[in-house]
Parts: sequence; C-alpha cells; structure tokens
Amino acid sequence: MNQAVITVTDLTAGYGKPILNHVSFEVREGEIFVILGGSGCGKSTILKHIIGLQPPLSGEIRILGDRIFGGDAAEAQRARRHFGVMYQSGALFGSMTLLENVCVPLESFTALPPDARRLLALMKLEQVGLKEYATFFPAEISGGMRKRAAIARSLALSPQILFLDEPSAGLDPITSAELDRLILRLRDEQRMTVVMVTHELPSIYAVADRCVMLDREAAGMIATGVPSELRDNPPSEKVRAFFNREPERKKTTDEVMK
Amino acid sequence: MLIELPEQCTQGAIENLWRKNRKAVKGLKAADSLSLDADRVQFLDGTGEAFVIALYRASAKQGFAIQCRDAQGVVARTLEQFDPARFAESSPGQFVRKRGTKLLVQLGESAVGLWNDMVDEFAHFGATVVALLRLLFSPHRLRWRDFWLNFERAGMDALPITMLVGFLIGLILAFMSAASLKQFGVEIYVADLICIGLFRELGPIITGIILTGRSGSAFAAELGTMKVNEEIDALTTFGLSPTEFLTLPRVLAATFVMPTLTIFSILSGLVGGAFVLLSMDIPAVAYCQHIAGSLSLNNALFGLGKSMVFGFLIGQVGCTQGLRTGRTADAVGRAATASVVGSLVLITIFDGGFAVLAYFMGF
Repeated sequence: MNQAVITVTDLTAGYGKPILNHVSFEVREGEIFVILGGSGCGKSTILKHIIGLQPPLSGEIRILGDRIFGGDAAEAQRARRHFGVMYQSGALFGSMTLLENVCVPLESFTALPPDARRLLALMKLEQVGLKEYATFFPAEISGGMRKRAAIARSLALSPQILFLDEPSAGLDPITSAELDRLILRLRDEQRMTVVMVTHELPSIYAVADRCVMLDREAAGMIATGVPSELRDNPPSEKVRAFFNREPERKKTTDEVMK
Repeated sequence: MLIELPEQCTQGAIENLWRKNRKAVKGLKAADSLSLDADRVQFLDGTGEAFVIALYRASAKQGFAIQCRDAQGVVARTLEQFDPARFAESSPGQFVRKRGTKLLVQLGESAVGLWNDMVDEFAHFGATVVALLRLLFSPHRLRWRDFWLNFERAGMDALPITMLVGFLIGLILAFMSAASLKQFGVEIYVADLICIGLFRELGPIITGIILTGRSGSAFAAELGTMKVNEEIDALTTFGLSPTEFLTLPRVLAATFVMPTLTIFSILSGLVGGAFVLLSMDIPAVAYCQHIAGSLSLNNALFGLGKSMVFGFLIGQVGCTQGLRTGRTADAVGRAATASVVGSLVLITIFDGGFAVLAYFMGF
C-alpha cells in the first residue's frame, strides 16, 4: 500500500460553528480520491481547510507531513508547495492571457530563464490541449477550456498533489469526459495524487480510486471506500440513495409513530 | 558536450542544470554533438520535461546532433508526449499577445467609444426620466427600502468626512483671504467671502466630489458586480426594469442626499472660518452679523438647487456605468473609474453652465 500523503485527523470543519465533526481520513500517494456528498454537506469547506484557506475549528491536517495550520510559517509554506488547486470557476486572472496565467507561479517560484518559463507554460497548456489558445484571454474561451487552463496553471510547478473543486460542474458530458481522461493521465503519467470535490456520479465512477462521503444531517463522514463497492453494497440508506440517484425512502407512518 | 540528468529531475535540480548549460547549448553548431545521459533518471517532472524539449528544440534549430542514453525510456516518453517541432517558435513574439495598437487606430477606437458612451448615457438618462415620470403617478413603484438604505449609506455615513472637509475648506479659505485683507484692515469681510463662496460654489462642488468618490463609484461597482453575477439578467427575464428596480432608488437617494450633505458642509466651513477670524480678535457677533448680511435666499437656493442637480448626475452616471459593465472583474474596476471621471467632468460642465445662468439671471 502506498504511503499517505494527506492525513486528516479528528477534524471539526466549519466557519465559526461546526458543520462536520470528527472527520478522519487519509489520501494515499498516486490515488484519485473523491470527497463527495449532497449540496451543503461541507465538501468545499473541508477542501478549504485542507488547502489552507480557512483554519479548521479543531483537528489536524498534514500534507506530506507538513501542516498549514498549527506549525510555523516555513512549514506552512512547505506544505503549500506540495499542491496545486483548480477552483470551481477556474479563477484565471482576467487581464492575462492563458500563457501569462500559467507563467505567474513560474515567475514567482522558479529561477528559470524567461524562455524556459514560456516553454514550460506552453507544455502545460499542450498537456491540457490548449496550446493553440495560449494568447487568448479567459473571457475569450469556453467554461470547459477555462477549467482546463486552470488545471494547466495549477500544474505549472509540478506539484505532487492536485486539488480539484467541482471540476465537471457546468460542463457538457463530452467535455466532462475529456476532463476525466486528463485527470487519469495526470495520475498515470505524472504519478500525481488527485483530490476531487464533486457530486457528479459519472465522473466519480470514471476516475475515483477511493472516496469519502459526507452528510449534512450526520454532520460527518458516513462512508469511505471504493465508489463501485459503495454503490453495490451501500452501508446505509443515505449512501444507497446517493449512488442510485434516488430520493431517500420516506418513513412509513408506523416507523414515524415508533 | 555532455549533459548528465540526475536521478530525480525535479525543479531545483533542473534549474541549476538549465542555468549552467544554457550558454554552451546556444553555442553549439551543426558540426557539434551533444551527449544526453538520462540512464540514471528515475523521475522527470514538468521542469525536467521542458528541459529535454528545450534541448531537442535547440538541436532542430541549430543543427547539432543529440546522442541520448535513455535506459529508463523517460526521454523517449517525453518526446512522444511533446513533439519538439510543435514548440518551435517561428518568431520571437509568437506566443505574446500584442496589446498596443497603432496611434491612428487608437484614436479612431477612442472616438467611436466616446460616441457610444454618449449614446448610452443619453439612453439611460432617457430611461431614468421616463421612470421618474411614471413614479410621479404611482409612487408605490419606487423601492422605498432601497431608497432609504442608499440615502443612509450615501448620506449619514458620509457626514463625518463631508463635515471634516467642509471645516478645513472654510479654515483654509478664511486664512488665505484674511492674510490679504488684513493689509487693508478689512479682514471682517472674510466672513462675507466665505459665506458667498461656500453657499454658491465651494459647498456644492466639494460635496459633489466627496459623493462622487464615495457613492458614485460604489453604485457603479455594486451594479457592475451584479451584472457579472448575471443578477441584472435575472431581473430582465423576470420582466422587471433594471432602471426602475436599481437605478431610481440610487439616483433619487443621491439627488436628495446632496443638498443635505451640502448644508452640513457649508455649516462646517463657516465654523472653520470663525476659528480663523476669532483668532484674529474679530468678535463672534460681528462675524455672525456679516454672515447674515451677506446670505441671501437666492444664493442659498441657487447653491442647494445646484447640489441637487449634481446629486442627480452622480447617481445617474454611477448607475449607468454599473449597468454598462462588461462580464469580467477588471470591467467592474473600469466602470468605477469611469463613473468617477464622468461625474467630475459633468459636475464641472454643469457648474460652468450654472455660472452663466446666474450671470444672465442677475443673481
């Protein structure tokens, strides 16, 4: 079994008041790990804690042994260099071309000469199939292209871990499938660990090695494992309903009375 | 020439290698050859791949040969994934988007842009006037809650800064004019000067500038962000008019808040002037008598009427720029800037117009 690259221990997630309690899981090297659950269950909140945008209420998160919260600034900076993040909207800088967007982290964190930076950025765009659009501005390309460009930017520094927030949201099925293939290629060719937040079942089945399922009512984790196994042998009614895309079975009058 | 790739080709190792060999590789000619030893490589990250592609790209351009030892097949894999020929730049700036355009084209674009701006401003102005006329017959159409909210934000919240600036303007005006008038022993007339100056010109103008910077730009940014978030589109598809729903409460709030703020600004200016004159041993009674003597109802109404028009212009320009915003974040910034510049220009032009009007009406 590969070593754990992310360990989340007894985490209480939320902004001021807790949304999720006692969440613990680990993500192993080279796997595609999905954080899933219904809307409002705290998926994006937990992602924000892991990538260091919001301190958790309690608990510990380690990325390749380093902590963003609870350690010193150098440790936090080290932890941040291990990963890249693709945000739901892409979050590309609107005043820069795609090439310039990808060059931003390279200019700040590498000592490469300018032509080398440009070549590297072009290769990252080629990797996501957007080299021909290098001189385009984000406003000039489609939503799916923006997401792929955002992945290229998050790959610029060759991170070991890639976080993707709702990568397939708002995309057509073909673009979504292309994105899934790209994610699989990153794992297979770059040995990258990918952590995805999503509730798109086709994407989950296509790419996920393991997943953790969160629930708002339970205020925590309700399942963890391989998605197809959870679908075939759901540990609870909620998990079954989610994987079968069915509303939860309503309680009978007798059950309510009991 | 020999380049030996390390076992772990990660960013730090490749950076050093790149810097060290850059000049030497550039100096290689057709007759030369380069030995690339990749036998030990266990891991090649993105920077390492870029280095390999850069070498093969240089080889294709300069004509030198590369003898590669690649026991692990990492170089072959990289070349398979990234064809060096696809990264050959046909010109140095091939992948750079030219932002600047020719002067003549810029001039033409600016002229067309200015014309479009004017047409848009007039169209929005017309829509506001029509909405105002409709409002006269059915006042319930106005979103009164938004009106009071904007009145509070643009008015009450701006009171401290308006009073501070008004006080300082009165102080400075009194100090500068008193220094000259004192030579003739008529420094008491500073009171008349301040009173007329503040009521007719400085009060409305200074308050207008504050309201432009504080609220006009805020209207543009708020409506611009709503446009980016497609909230304006949502209103339109509901069949609601953005002019009635968003522009009217803000324009009316700005129109009625301006005279209120102007009065406070003028009063603070008079207090500022009093400070200077009292320090010059001019009695407070004399100061007040001169203020009362020089203040006419015409002057006061003229100043306050002017400030109402300025308020309308500030609200109208701010909302128009907000509604005309593009779909990107920087467009919101541009809208806020355009609203400030537009309002200031219009205030200046209208102030000139009022001066001419006052001259012909004998004020």
